[in-house]
Amino acid sequence: MRWVAADVEMYQKAAEYVDTAIVPLLPVSFGDDMKQNASMAEFIGILTTQLEKQFKGRIFLFPDFVYIKGHEASIKALKEWENTLLDKQFKHVFYVTSDSSWRQQEKELTGNLLWLPSLSLEHMQEQQKVSIVEDQVKQLLSLFTEKWQED
Amino acid sequence: MSKHRVSRRQFLNYTLTGVGGFMAAGMLMPMVRFAVDPVLKGEDAGDFIATPLKIADITNEPQKVNFSFTQKDAWYESEETGTAWVFKNEGGEIVALSPVCKHLGCVVDWNTDKKNPNMFFCPCHYGLYEKDGMNVKGTPPLAPLDVYPTKEKDGFLYVGKAEPRKGA
Ligand code: FES
Repeated sequence: MRWVAADVEMYQKAAEYVDTAIVPLLPVSFGDDMKQNASMAEFIGILTTQLEKQFKGRIFLFPDFVYIKGHEASIKALKEWENTLLDKQFKHVFYVTSDSSWRQQEKELTGNLLWLPSLSLEHMQEQQKVSIVEDQVKQLLSLFTEKWQED
Repeated sequence: MSKHRVSRRQFLNYTLTGVGGFMAAGMLMPMVRFAVDPVLKGEDAGDFIATPLKIADITNEPQKVNFSFTQKDAWYESEETGTAWVFKNEGGEIVALSPVCKHLGCVVDWNTDKKNPNMFFCPCHYGLYEKDGMNVKGTPPLAPLDVYPTKEKDGFLYVGKAEPRKGA
């Protein structure tokens, strides 16, 4: 489910079935890495959309968590997010990002960090793009089903 | 310079009628359009979408077929991908099932649950469907998988809009 009215309505009727939250973590910056961060956002956006489509009934894809790159308060804000989600019966919380700086802070988080090296899809052919994304999505899908089976 | 001076009252009158009229038109136009549109649009149903699957390649084993179509949604026009599970049933008829689980909308897979071979399986809450799409009682889904109407054209499979069926 996504953060749109129709899906929220569905969620409110079936919350007990929706136990997995996805929060994309997207940095914004204005330096040399500005463009790189933008393509990260594109890549993560496509990936999480596909994931949500496959697992619509069990996953809630929340709006992006956007922060200024390198800003130290981000972890605090994210923890607040996390606590709210865990409070709201989300058993599994996944953060999807290409920003490697979260890897050092993974320990402070209860949720799972899915760090994916960003691929720039900009210069790729349609066909190539699709197959690369499909590949990544497949891997993520099995990761989710494995997690669920641990329950 | 015009000799005709516009009084304050007249000025207000003109502008208000002008603005009011404009607003009314703004509100009415879409309403009129809503009322008239269905007539203008013509028949839209019965649109079949081409799939890359050759009729000759359809077997008794369900196979996944992706097809793309454009979807218009108010502001956006997007290229969407649809999926169907296609096979021939015992009677030799072509069946194309929607992969969208009737419980909460996850995508079902064919024959992926080892404990329940030759069934459609939903990984989200372990919903099960028979090969013909009928939901298995005792699993979360309460209705069978939707069915696409199918058509053959130039040797390829075409599908229409998926339709719901009555449940088990
Ligand atoms: S969405 Fe398929 S069983 Fe719940």
